[in-house]
Amino acid sequence: MDFRELPPVKEQLMKCVRCGKCRELCPVFKEIGVESAAPRGHVFMVQMLRDGKVEPTPEVYDRLGQCLMCETCSANCPSGIDVHELNAAARAYLSQTNPNWGKDLLFGNFWTKPDLMKQSIKLASLAQRLGLQKLARNIGLTRILPGDLKDAEKILDHIPPRSARSTLPAFTPAQGDTRYRVGYFLGCGTDFLSPEIAQATVNVLSRNGCEVYIPEGLKCCGLPHIANGKLDVARQLTIHNINLFQKLNVDYIITDCGSCSATLTEKNLRFVLQGTPYQEDAAAFAARVMDLTVFLIDVLDIRVDVHTGQKWKVTYHDPCHLVNAQGITAQPRELLRRIPGVELIEMPNAASCCGGSGTYSVTHHQVSMQILDKKMSNAASTGADVLATCCPSCIMQLNHGCRRSNWNAEVVHPVVLLDRVYQEALTTV
Amino acid sequence: MNHVDIKKELIKMLGPDKVLTDELDLMYYSYDSSFLTKLQPVTPNAVVLPTSTAEVQAVVRLAYEHGINIIPRGAGTGETGGCVATEGGIVIDLSRWREIVEIDVNNMQVVVRPGVIHADLNDELAKFNLFFPPDPGSSKMCTVGGMVANNASGLRAVKYWTTEPYVLGLEVVTPTGEVIITGGQQARCIKNVSGLNLTKLMVGSEGVLGIVTQIRLRCFPRPKARGIAMAVFDHLDDAPATVLEVYQAGVLPSGIEILDGSAIKAVNDFKPQINLPDAEAILLFEVDGNPPGVEYEGQIIKEVAGRRARQVEWSTDKQRMAELWEGRSITAAAAARVRPDGSRIFAGEDISVPISKVAEVLRAIRALGDKYGIKVVNYGHIGDGNVHCAPVINPEDPHEVELVQKLVDEIHLLAIEMNGSTTGEHGVGAARRGYAVLEHGSAVEYMKKVKNAFDPKGIMNPGKLF
Ligand SMILES: Cc1cc2nc3c(=O)[nH]c(=O)nc-3n(C[C@H](O)[C@H](O)[C@H](O)COP(=O)(O)OP(=O)(O)OC[C@H]3O[C@@H](n4cnc5c(N)ncnc54)[C@H](O)[C@@H]3O)c2cc1C
Ligand code: SF4
Ligand code: SF4
Repeated sequence: MDFRELPPVKEQLMKCVRCGKCRELCPVFKEIGVESAAPRGHVFMVQMLRDGKVEPTPEVYDRLGQCLMCETCSANCPSGIDVHELNAAARAYLSQTNPNWGKDLLFGNFWTKPDLMKQSIKLASLAQRLGLQKLARNIGLTRILPGDLKDAEKILDHIPPRSARSTLPAFTPAQGDTRYRVGYFLGCGTDFLSPEIAQATVNVLSRNGCEVYIPEGLKCCGLPHIANGKLDVARQLTIHNINLFQKLNVDYIITDCGSCSATLTEKNLRFVLQGTPYQEDAAAFAARVMDLTVFLIDVLDIRVDVHTGQKWKVTYHDPCHLVNAQGITAQPRELLRRIPGVELIEMPNAASCCGGSGTYSVTHHQVSMQILDKKMSNAASTGADVLATCCPSCIMQLNHGCRRSNWNAEVVHPVVLLDRVYQEALTTV
Repeated sequence: MNHVDIKKELIKMLGPDKVLTDELDLMYYSYDSSFLTKLQPVTPNAVVLPTSTAEVQAVVRLAYEHGINIIPRGAGTGETGGCVATEGGIVIDLSRWREIVEIDVNNMQVVVRPGVIHADLNDELAKFNLFFPPDPGSSKMCTVGGMVANNASGLRAVKYWTTEPYVLGLEVVTPTGEVIITGGQQARCIKNVSGLNLTKLMVGSEGVLGIVTQIRLRCFPRPKARGIAMAVFDHLDDAPATVLEVYQAGVLPSGIEILDGSAIKAVNDFKPQINLPDAEAILLFEVDGNPPGVEYEGQIIKEVAGRRARQVEWSTDKQRMAELWEGRSITAAAAARVRPDGSRIFAGEDISVPISKVAEVLRAIRALGDKYGIKVVNYGHIGDGNVHCAPVINPEDPHEVELVQKLVDEIHLLAIEMNGSTTGEHGVGAARRGYAVLEHGSAVEYMKKVKNAFDPKGIMNPGKLF
């Protein structure tokens, strides 16, 4: 499809009055300080592209690619412009005109096939544990991505040996009476980087009266593809996943990953599926998708009636894809408050980006680290011993931040803490 | 020296991180918030991002030597194309230079570099119970340097006036490359009438006389309390009459804002939950100070406004005040909503007229809108007669663009005819320079002489002001 026909380009581009409000909100602009990194600058460049005033070159992609898709600008633009969508639309157009074998391989092939991905991650992880950094570099993600690899690959240092899906059953029954049938959208980040979250999610849902289904053949939500100009691949993945869940007759589709739930909102799916006959299916699908913390608080209204005597000082980092893309801030905090032993301490600027954003920490390593260092100093200022957040990509980045700043905090998803309380209470009964 | 050599020289002086020469990177400096530069963006020949007086001076000296235009730029939130290289040259972007040099609490003043963001400055000052009162709507994004250059003001100008009275002294790199300090070499006093007042001359000079590299600002104690009154009118004329009556009753609110019928509709369309009453005009009064005084003045406003208004609400409750004020603060953004395929534009957006003529002017603007078939949303700082009109058009339709330019021209002429000015706070820049002689007559010649004394080669932000 012609990128000029995509809704944000067609309807929103002209509405930008270049007021500049977004400049000061953008985490990348704050570090770089040049207009080409400002959201307003991206809107301008998309317009230049649309009007044929600049050629669709890799250099234009580089400028637009500075955006880490945190959606802070979009959430705050007084003219209601989805700056990140404009950017994604332009990236898709630029990718079509400038094929990049590395990205094609990674996002067109590797990241669409769960098995292939699993094998590679396994190999990468094995190699790392054997100290074969060089081999890891050659087979892992870092080979295909540009940037400061030597330092950047440290972020990927701690890839667990086994993915979540290789250990979790396709069906887990509810404990006690069944309240809901839940499909679990087990995203790539949770699956490969933080499988302990997946285990905790299944445990907690089951314990609170939910049957949990993990559909066979579930694929990536498509966010990495949207962000990397592979809108067509994202479209295929989305249609595949919608079909998959249509077959499962579930009440809710739950995900513990903020980026997955943000990608699966109706608004975003409309953008991805523009021009396909799947708009209505997408709306029905999106209506059932819910972030895990929202489900636990707003739908299940869980009460935790067990204690372990353990105490945690917890501070919470808002993942961009929850706070900016979906306005979700209260439920993760409420969930933490409901976990016995948790004392919640707010950090300054909890909603500012951590600079992780999937592959950004590898492709734009230096800026990403600058953003991260600010985040870590805010987080550490609370004196907390646990840093909680609801996105595996943030967790990976924040873990790296803890190592960088020598801050000995545990970085977890709230559901992992909750599950720990349940499990420890069981063993101490 | 040719262009290539100049660029090389700039990089040699400032280092590669502070110089942009790639054509693509330069394009991003072809605009500010003005409609003018949206229609006609102009790409500069180079951009530099200095963070010291020595660096600014080095660039200016090079430019002076070779007769190259130099254009200072803050955050590029100006509405007039003021920071755009409309006649080519080197843009000097000062927005990275964000140092608060000193908060001198004992002398109630602060020294800053030009790139500090207005809201950031006030956040820091708040730690000492101080504030820098002018408050442009662009507070969260504009630089203090840009405010000084444009003599910016805002909602609270009624009581606190503009940037100018707060500027105690400046460090300026002149267009010939010298560094001067205005307001006294070592002065830390607040009152100072010695010498010709170059500080005052620089404030509002829109970057045509030199580059401001350091600013010494007076601060005020932070008020402890606030209250807001909303008065709803069935007849537009009653709004300005009420403003005068409140003044006559001995009350000087910090701000008085008006939304006319078009703005009320726009706000309600944009955010139905705000639910402003349907009316010809709404006035919002803000009072600040100490709690008893705020309450006392609030009651007077309530009583005085109640004589003409259909309904008056007075509140000091934080939540309610935020709701009432939200109606005003989102107007600028909401304006576009009067038309689904429309965008508000920043042109003809800042006229200033005598308070007594505000109603007449608003009616005349409505008639002009009808004449050209263009929706215009009106709001503004009625307390000082500064009216913001927001024409809403489809900027991609050349016919509408042509029409709106005629409309804007008529709005500017209307302001002059009504004993007002084409701009109350946003400035002249490139967008309004055509009205200089009409507004100032032969005084423009003296403006040019002043400029020439500072800038004999005419390299300093040419094509602006007149
Ligand atoms: C949504 C919105 C709301 C606004 N609300 C208000 C308002 O309420 N009141 C108001 O007064 N204005 C308002 N403005 C206009 C604008 O924000 C102000 O004029 C602001 O002061 C400009 O600052 P800037 O840093 O963006 O300067 P720029 O736009 O970058 O530059 C403005 C002018 O200053 C010159 N300049 C900048 N820095 C220097 C320097 N260091 N030395 C010499 N010259 C310099 C430039 O050459 C240019 O002529 C608004 C703008 C927007 C987009
Ligand atoms: S905040 Fe919105 S309207 Fe303003 S410059 Fe950014 S994208 Fe444009
Ligand atoms: S999405 Fe985030 S990183 Fe991208 S332009 Fe907007 S604020 Fe900046």
